[in-house]
Amino acid sequence: MDSQLLNPTSLKSRFTARFLRALTKINAPNPISSSSPTPREIFQRYRRIKVAADKSMAYSVRSRTTWSRATLSRLRTRSRHRRLASFGPRSSVTTAAVLKKTSSHGKENEGGLGVQAGELRELVPGGEAMDLCNLLDETAHYIKCLTTQVQVMKTIANLYSLE
Amino acid sequence: MEKDKAFIMAEVLNRTATRQPTWSTSGFVTEMQSNELNCATEQVGNYFLNPNWDNSMDQSDPFESALSSMVSSPAASNVLPVSGENVMMRELIGKLGNICNSGDISPQFSIKPNANTGSANASFNSTPLNSPPRLNLSMVNLPAPFSADPGFAERAARFSCFSGLNDPLMDSFKLSGNQSIKVDGSQSIKNSPMEANSPENAESGVSKEDSSVSQQIPARNDAGTRKRKSIPRGKAKEIPSPAAADAKVATENGESNSKRSKQDGSPGNGNEKQSKENSKPPEPPKDYIHVRARRGQATDSHSLAERVRREKISERMKFLQDLVPGCNKVTGKAVMLDEIINYVQSLQRQVEFLSMKLANVNPRSDINMEALLSKDMFQSRGSLLHGIYSMDSSAPTFPFGYQPQQGLHLNSGIPNATETQFSMKTQGFQLPSIDGFTDANPHVGSIWEDDLQSIVQMGFGQNQPQGYQGSIATGQVKIEL
Repeated sequence: MDSQLLNPTSLKSRFTARFLRALTKINAPNPISSSSPTPREIFQRYRRIKVAADKSMAYSVRSRTTWSRATLSRLRTRSRHRRLASFGPRSSVTTAAVLKKTSSHGKENEGGLGVQAGELRELVPGGEAMDLCNLLDETAHYIKCLTTQVQVMKTIANLYSLE
Repeated sequence: MEKDKAFIMAEVLNRTATRQPTWSTSGFVTEMQSNELNCATEQVGNYFLNPNWDNSMDQSDPFESALSSMVSSPAASNVLPVSGENVMMRELIGKLGNICNSGDISPQFSIKPNANTGSANASFNSTPLNSPPRLNLSMVNLPAPFSADPGFAERAARFSCFSGLNDPLMDSFKLSGNQSIKVDGSQSIKNSPMEANSPENAESGVSKEDSSVSQQIPARNDAGTRKRKSIPRGKAKEIPSPAAADAKVATENGESNSKRSKQDGSPGNGNEKQSKENSKPPEPPKDYIHVRARRGQATDSHSLAERVRREKISERMKFLQDLVPGCNKVTGKAVMLDEIINYVQSLQRQVEFLSMKLANVNPRSDINMEALLSKDMFQSRGSLLHGIYSMDSSAPTFPFGYQPQQGLHLNSGIPNATETQFSMKTQGFQLPSIDGFTDANPHVGSIWEDDLQSIVQMGFGQNQPQGYQGSIATGQVKIEL
């Protein structure tokens, strides 16, 4: 097989490093001898891990793509909501309003692809405010990052299941 | 080292900020820094993009060539959104910057032929044309180490023309660029930005830019279009700039002037089939990019714009087709989009499933993450690793008649083909206490492969596949080497 070394600054390495750090942080509080965590704990860990995965991927991409920015802002507002539960989702309302303004004029030239484009917009974070052309670019990058994420997480999961 | 570079970058940008107050540098600072950090290499000089562009294009990296083909064809008409949708610009440039880092795309994606290399260079070199502020900032103050990318010289020269920068820094830069050009023979060889007649420019987009420079300065028209003809082009027009007001006035001037000046030569060169242009001489800046209608098609501006957009979209769809596995037979945009949507959904679900799995699997000891982080672990033979590890998980279930040392070989000699450094690192592992296994046998080497085969065959049946989707099943199938 080829013996090329991985680029240490590649997306994969960046994501892996961040994700592993987050994982060790999440796993750290658990005493090693704990036998069966309750389902609730498992669920909490699952949520945290998922957030960590998305966050580390978005951070690895920095702000170069719209979807990463959207993910980061979404994560931040969500964490803010959790802390300021009493205040209510004011920020999300305003962002939704802004998005509605910007999204309308970019979507004229979809041809007959309006339905699928809409679905794609829902899937790709931050896709609401983009015209189809940019949406496809974002989708391409998003797919690439998702596959990296899945690959790395698979490897890590297998590593963990070693023990 | 990355921090130093970022610091230097910030300094450079701050210095240039004073010279060119029209350009807002804050956004560019972050962008440059991100590009810088993302493309960090040992060469200090290359602040902008990958100096190994040529090398990386030689590796048949599917994403790179595919993305470059995607980028190149809109750029083949030599204009990236001049509209200055800066977001789009940054994304594309960021992607190009990321291309240098994406040497690890999963091998299951189809590999595009490397015929795009030439046009990729074109696109690569032409994208900076449309973001002169960024590049100019990056290129000032870097005299010597531009041996990697001689295209910088041309760009620098062009930008100096555009912005009227004539300080000695730029001159020295041009000189250094000239020197660097001779170093790298693969790129077009020019002795000065003025010349535009290098025969090697057939494939390099640098020729286009050089011709633009030459047309700007000595107003030579012939060379540019000759070069342009040899560059394969799918479209007959440039992308109209919808929101021209976004771009800075200076860049707008420069870009539209260069485009028009490039196009000027085409009447004189009647062989151009798909020449697009206006035969206007370079003028005071306009807001539109002029497009010529194809033969037998409607000519009003709306339909032209529409057509351009449609072609852009189909370009991207083609690119996505390569990304999404199993989409080659699909024809039609709607079905293609459905496939893409399904694929994205499945990927997202996979991520969720994997994070659930990770939440369930609680590591008993935090198995040395440093070794895991070593780059050797995550080489492209990810499937092999999967195979190894999923196999290892079943090792304890072997009947104990089986020599337990083998299991240790598995654990310690993890990726077989890695350097000895790594295998020596693994000796330092505190292996998880697998019942009945003793110390790690430091002798990894040849025993590994034979046992691997036998273990694979024995363990494969016992290994219970997780309830994943099809991709994981294929990952396990790959175990049998």
